[in-house]
Amino acid sequence: MPRTTLISSFVLSALVLVLTLQPAVAETKYQRTIENYAIPDVVLVNQNGAKVRFRELMQSNRPVIVDFIFGTCTTICPILSVSFANLQQKLGTDSQKVQLVSISIDPENDTPKVMKEYLKRYRARPGWDFLTGTRADIDKVMYAFNAYIPNKMSHYPLTLIRSSRDGKWIRIFGLMGSSEFTTECRKVGIQ
Amino acid sequence: MKGADRYRRFRGLPIALMCGAVFSLFFVVAGSFGETASPALSDQERLHLGERIYREGLLPSGEPMQAYVKGDLPVPGTSFTCVSCHLRSGLGSVEGGVYTPPTNGVKLYQPHQPLFKNMEQKYFPLPLRRPAYTDASLAEAIRSGDVPPRYKLNDVMPRYLIDDADMAILVSYLKSLSSTVSPGVSATNMSFATVITDGVKPEERDAMLSALDNLVNIKNSLVSAFNTPRGSRSRLMAENMLGSREMAVRTISVSRWLLKGAPETWRGQLEEYYRKEPVFALLGGISNEDWRPIHQFSEDHHIPCLFPITDFPVVSDTDWYTQYFSKGYYQEGEAVARYLNTRDEAAAGRPIIQIVQASREGQALSAGFLETWRDLGHQPPLTVTLKAGESLSQDFLRQLSNRENPAALILWGGSDMLPAVKTLAEDGNRPGMVFVSSSCLGKDIWLLPEQLREFTYIAYPFSFSKYVAASSMGSKPAQSDAPTSLRLKDVTIQDRTQRIAGLAPSLVQVLVMALMDMRGNYYRDNFFDVIGMIPDQNSPLYERLSFGPGQRYASKGCYIVQLTKGPEPELVRKSNWVIH
Repeated sequence: MPRTTLISSFVLSALVLVLTLQPAVAETKYQRTIENYAIPDVVLVNQNGAKVRFRELMQSNRPVIVDFIFGTCTTICPILSVSFANLQQKLGTDSQKVQLVSISIDPENDTPKVMKEYLKRYRARPGWDFLTGTRADIDKVMYAFNAYIPNKMSHYPLTLIRSSRDGKWIRIFGLMGSSEFTTECRKVGIQ
Repeated sequence: MKGADRYRRFRGLPIALMCGAVFSLFFVVAGSFGETASPALSDQERLHLGERIYREGLLPSGEPMQAYVKGDLPVPGTSFTCVSCHLRSGLGSVEGGVYTPPTNGVKLYQPHQPLFKNMEQKYFPLPLRRPAYTDASLAEAIRSGDVPPRYKLNDVMPRYLIDDADMAILVSYLKSLSSTVSPGVSATNMSFATVITDGVKPEERDAMLSALDNLVNIKNSLVSAFNTPRGSRSRLMAENMLGSREMAVRTISVSRWLLKGAPETWRGQLEEYYRKEPVFALLGGISNEDWRPIHQFSEDHHIPCLFPITDFPVVSDTDWYTQYFSKGYYQEGEAVARYLNTRDEAAAGRPIIQIVQASREGQALSAGFLETWRDLGHQPPLTVTLKAGESLSQDFLRQLSNRENPAALILWGGSDMLPAVKTLAEDGNRPGMVFVSSSCLGKDIWLLPEQLREFTYIAYPFSFSKYVAASSMGSKPAQSDAPTSLRLKDVTIQDRTQRIAGLAPSLVQVLVMALMDMRGNYYRDNFFDVIGMIPDQNSPLYERLSFGPGQRYASKGCYIVQLTKGPEPELVRKSNWVIH
């Protein structure tokens, strides 16, 4: 085999290798799908002890972003909550343009008092509600979002973004960075 | 505004990281942290400041640490502390599929070659296998996530912006964290104790002890099998049954610490027992008195105490070293406050009256109600405390009711309070609602006068479930089989001895899980760290036992019930297990 062919083969192989690797490098670390959800008509309780009709809150004419957390969670929830806090920070005085909703997956422990202190830790502004309720109602909500877990310790990072334009949900499985979260928010009109 | 400024500073992250790298380089040349750190601080002060960085995210200056996660998410260190993921012992955690590796000095300064036995790793890459850290490489990892020679920490680990002096303090603390195995652990044994105070009935004491003795016998016979020179099968069996080699080579012992006399003298007795035998932890224990002296002993010596049998625990959001089954009487007071808060009558402006018997029970119930009622944003109720031995007279109650016209009358005492209310009802002058405690009434709960049943609500802190699921990991929610009403004959646990016998298996179950999950890391703080990670458990007494970092009362619910009319009444649920 001529030397030039050998070099060309090597270069081509290297190129193929690089091209093969490229998608893996560029690939986002989270999974994203578009979903439709039937929201259960349950009454939950927010951090102020006020009753909240969950379906009405979800069918807001503002974009809605939902996650599942608990007050004493060690790893995933702080990252999810920091994403919410940063979004509110970026929106500034427009923080109520989007409805943020964190749903407790430890409703026995997450009382309004615990939830209020949690939100305070993340400097939450109006427009971010932390909801608890009976275990049966929380289970209904988890089932509705295909997010049911029998036990809080086996939870996973999930962010659900609802467009107020068509009511469809972006389901994001995994943890996003700030810019990734901002990009996803823009897709439903959150600027 | 100050917070916004703080965030703006993060925009200089690349510069900060470059500066950090330059500083780090200088550091390697200059030598170890110890030589560069402030000489003015004593070792004790350095540890205290290091603990504050680790647990609270506050720098020695009092300012919060600054950090980034996921590459570009700015976070204040106070909401992203080291302790939140690596936990109090520094031994790390597994939660939501994320494995957080140990960060105590003993583990950091040796290569990390984790084995992932029984570990769930669904969503994230396996943690790196890294060489031993040095002071400089550890600082680099904390600042930039880079681990020599070519690794990078998972981006859920914050990158902290810490200067050299503060880093030296943090690293000193990490070196001290879980650095020596806790007292009570030898190469062949782990010693525990159980505290029993005067006045406990022998059958109640034995109901608790028999479960512990049974565990010790089974455990130690497996250790004996492991140590036998005959055959490898018994060794294999023992190791598999006990979950780890460390447990297979160690027996366990549970000493009885019997406390005599008045509670004021208990502390001295506990100190003497502890001096003779510095145990790893206290298991169970039983007392009819206030548990506070033993609770305080555990706090002061950092000795974990798991599931003491007491109706009078210390109720605290911050104390660390005692894990209780529930808040006891206090929890019933709490439930009544929460339930009343959901009723429109409470908001109508009519007063709430609580009448409190001068007893420990009355005080605990009243404290639970008052504190919860206040937290819910209400004005304090009108509280009348009866003197010791004083009964609630009909005349007094009639006058009080005429004067105040209460929306609710709360009776924190026994069934001897009920005749006065009955007279009130017969006069046609009854309060809107009456609340009582089932634990105070005992079996008299079933004898509640007919006239009172319609408007009397009972705090009932036990399960309605007749069956206990075999596994806590099933997909069926724990409460789903709870009926809405309960007859006397359906109550399987009829007295205190049976109650204790129902609790003891949960003590053993959680203890065994904790010993397995510690995997040889026998540090006292790790004991409660691993218990905080345990999945919810079922219990014959309570609807659910749940755990979590810092959660110290495993049963968090209490029903509000009513008694139906007729000669064979039933208890009917009027609330959920947990009332919000």
